[in-house]
Amino acid sequence: MRGQKRSTTWRVWTVVVAIVAVAGVLIARLGQLQILDHREYAAEARLSHVSEDTLSGRRGALLDRNGYPLAGSQDSFDLMVETKAWSDAKNAAEAAAALSPIAGVPPEQMVASVSGSSIYEVPVTRGLSYDQAQAIRKLGLPGVRLMASSRRVYPEGNLGAQLLGFVGQDNSGLTGLESDLNDVLGGAKGTLTYERDGLGNQLAVGERQEVAAQPGANVVLTIDRYLQRLAETELDKTIDKTKATGGSVIMIQPKTGEVLAMASRPTADVTKPDLSDDSKLALFRNKAITDTYEPGSVFKLVTMACALDLGLVGPYTPWHDLGVFRADNWTIRNWDYSANGDQSVTQILSKSLNTGAAWLATLAGPEQFYAYVDRFGFGKSTGSGLGGEVTGQVRTPASDPGSWRSVDMATNSFGQGLSATPLQVLMSAAAIANDGVMMKPKIVKEIAYPGHIQTMAPEAAGQVIKPETARNLREMMGVVVDGISPTLLDVQGYKVGGKTGTANLTVDGGGYKPDAYISSFLGIAPLDDPVLAVLVKIDEPQGTPWGTVVAAPAFEHIVEAALPYLNIPPTETALVSEQR
Amino acid sequence: MAAARRQPVAGTGMLRSPALPVVLILAACAIGITALLPLIQSSSATTTAGDVRALETQRNDQQARLRALELEIAQLGSLSRIEQEAAARFKMGPPKILNYITVDAPAPEARKIPGRYLAEEPRKDSDSPSLFEDIVDWLTP
Repeated sequence: MRGQKRSTTWRVWTVVVAIVAVAGVLIARLGQLQILDHREYAAEARLSHVSEDTLSGRRGALLDRNGYPLAGSQDSFDLMVETKAWSDAKNAAEAAAALSPIAGVPPEQMVASVSGSSIYEVPVTRGLSYDQAQAIRKLGLPGVRLMASSRRVYPEGNLGAQLLGFVGQDNSGLTGLESDLNDVLGGAKGTLTYERDGLGNQLAVGERQEVAAQPGANVVLTIDRYLQRLAETELDKTIDKTKATGGSVIMIQPKTGEVLAMASRPTADVTKPDLSDDSKLALFRNKAITDTYEPGSVFKLVTMACALDLGLVGPYTPWHDLGVFRADNWTIRNWDYSANGDQSVTQILSKSLNTGAAWLATLAGPEQFYAYVDRFGFGKSTGSGLGGEVTGQVRTPASDPGSWRSVDMATNSFGQGLSATPLQVLMSAAAIANDGVMMKPKIVKEIAYPGHIQTMAPEAAGQVIKPETARNLREMMGVVVDGISPTLLDVQGYKVGGKTGTANLTVDGGGYKPDAYISSFLGIAPLDDPVLAVLVKIDEPQGTPWGTVVAAPAFEHIVEAALPYLNIPPTETALVSEQR
Repeated sequence: MAAARRQPVAGTGMLRSPALPVVLILAACAIGITALLPLIQSSSATTTAGDVRALETQRNDQQARLRALELEIAQLGSLSRIEQEAAARFKMGPPKILNYITVDAPAPEARKIPGRYLAEEPRKDSDSPSLFEDIVDWLTP
């Protein structure tokens, strides 16, 4: 009896120990799950029923100087699909077939994009409209949800494409002003955390935390959409007429430095950006600031400004042209190989004499000549603030003492042997138009933040020449235009000034491309009180390459349309009637 | 005697204590109502939250439509469309002769930037002090 009791006790204790052991294992496992691995499992559980969306603030608009939108944002929706929800091939195919006619994406493509992904949720298409989103919502498909987003729209189409640039899928600016002003336009991102049901919809009474996104600022540019279109239209016409490979037109207000228009060709389409290869990507480059060229004879204005400002010559100082100018055993000739005999300094400009320009630079000497080249902003940034702007190259005795020679200055005097951007060249004429005060080019007029407006004041880069020198130069520029045939340049009602330029096209690695030229016209209008400075530059025109023939007519058309648009009354006999 | 003890004497004002089942029923009802209250409250909150979400969605939808309309207006006012309409519908073209005249009237004001693109004006505070400000002023003469 006693032995039986002992045996029973032993068995009971065995069961108790077994239960305690199992309980211990369970407790240990629970401890592991709930204490040691708590974070991992909590995160996994949270992921299955809590969503966190990044909220993008509405991207600010880019407006022209009169408030017309050049780029704006439209609300759109991205279609998101949970990978798990489409793990079953049959269900996925059915859901994709239902979505396809609304989203406009082939069902196979949608299924493939989800099945091949290892992430939790995949965007199968982006940029859906409000109506498309509503139709998809009505389907009520599990694991399918719509995430609010936005799409960039360009109401004026491709106007100012290279200047404005475009945005990527994440709404960040990739080129042009969209990229330069991305921090201002983009605003601040926010987050929305919420609990969701099995269909992925937000629970009415669940956890919900929202850090609101801040909208981006609207940016008012100095660009005028009418003048921009005018510049692009005339540029296209000129390129078409001369069978050129490209070109640029820039218009600015000399008194403020405000850029009214900036166009280059060839260009890209910002409404449907094609980034398939480097050559397509290169079309988005704003060549008015990123590409340099030898400015040619328009640079004689700088040489003349130097000589006049130093008091070395006056507009009517006599000079005898032998048709050749010698520097370092090199012979410099005029563009037409002419020898013009007795000439005035003004005629050096009006006849665009290379020999005369070289003589003026020699009178000034290298130190003074390059000091003026520097003052006019060549070889350094204009301060426009535009991304990708280059400085061009100017070799001086100081920068290149080993190989610089006098002949370099002689060729520099008529715009060869140095490089500049079209914007730099235009700013030099703008300084002459503004009584010798060079302004920094300005592209942004105002930034309207949510709460205050920041206005960008005009900023002067400095007084580069005396006001009387600038006035003399303007008169000389008027004489230049008077010498051009009215069939090529005759602005009805307004007196204008300018300078033509025809330069050889340089090639990578040095030297010039045979029979390839860049034709340009640099002008100001009206001559007595300029409100416009315009550069027309045409690359590799076929046939007659002279700037007078190729670029001057485009300048005429631009100025003839732009001045009345800017409410500038005509100064000449074009005023045919008067009402009192 | 025992029956007389159980029942209070008429006219003495003493109440009979309720029977246990009645007490239990009342307690159960009270517990039930107490339990129902959070449910009603929760239901009401759910309904309100649902209404709020629906209104938010409606607001977002209206904003989306408004922005879409703004951009549609901008596209309708684009220079290329105006030129196309002028040429195609009204048979207009560039003038062959330009005549300039002066008029004895001031030039129109430059176009103003549409208000929707400008910064929101900060809210002006009320001129009259609040009650709290009055109390603080009274306490700190």
